[in-house]
Amino acid sequence: MKDLARLRTAIKESVELALNQQIQMEMVSSSKYLAMAGWCDRNGLDHCAGFFYKQSDEERHHAMKLFHYLCDQGATAYSPEVPAVAQEFDSLRSVFEGALEQEVSVTDSINRIIGICRRESDYATEELLKWYVKEQMEEEYIARRCLELIDQIPADQIYYLDKKLASVTYDGNVFDE
Amino acid sequence: MTSNVPATYQEVFRTDKGVVYQCDASYRLILEFWNTRTQFSARDFAQFRRMVETVDIRQMALSTAASDDVEILTLPRSERCYVLTLCEIVHLRELLNGAKLMLDLNSMLRECGCTLPEPA
Repeated sequence: MKDLARLRTAIKESVELALNQQIQMEMVSSSKYLAMAGWCDRNGLDHCAGFFYKQSDEERHHAMKLFHYLCDQGATAYSPEVPAVAQEFDSLRSVFEGALEQEVSVTDSINRIIGICRRESDYATEELLKWYVKEQMEEEYIARRCLELIDQIPADQIYYLDKKLASVTYDGNVFDE
Repeated sequence: MTSNVPATYQEVFRTDKGVVYQCDASYRLILEFWNTRTQFSARDFAQFRRMVETVDIRQMALSTAASDDVEILTLPRSERCYVLTLCEIVHLRELLNGAKLMLDLNSMLRECGCTLPEPA
């Protein structure tokens, strides 16, 4: 008897389901970052707004990368439902705390999917997800560094803080060496 | 309906309420349930199984609203639909999940280099 599912796609149903959930998670992240960017813009924090607009675009790019991968492999990618996200925040600190929490959730989710790939012997998807592992290392580093800077820079130097936060990058990724 | 099964159909899984066949000639899975026979591609079959799996049968069981007495399931790429009661949903789930298990088993056997004997 032919294996019709395998002839259609190399991706197992459990992996397909997990990747679709990840697409939704990335799109929710994109929406959250857009809300953060809007809040920063409204509160005169132009540099941080720019930082979050860029983050929002990046998260959408992450989702689209998975979406195209599923389509190219013959699996089914679903356009996700994105629920309403918080639009207001108490402070700049709470914005970055929210960003770090979101990145930690995404990292945990990526690790969980790699576990599924290993269980299903899906090495191609695992290889793709390695890119996300590196990306998440950077994202978590940046969010943590921003929170450190918020603690280190006096609250009355808000213009300097705004500029400094938006300039944080992760140049020392050990995987790039 | 089971009596006039084409020779290319191979039985995948059967319950007393229905049967799922696979046709290697047309690359289709055939669901025989509720006196109807429906052909699916492998993708549509997986999608339909998920559709049946996500029906909230707890809500159907607990709700007193008439609208929760039945569930309308539209078949992929078809103008037909199933209007099913709670019991029928449970029977359909049993059939589809059993079929999925057998299809997964077939995949595993193929990965191991084994194949099921072709029907005579």
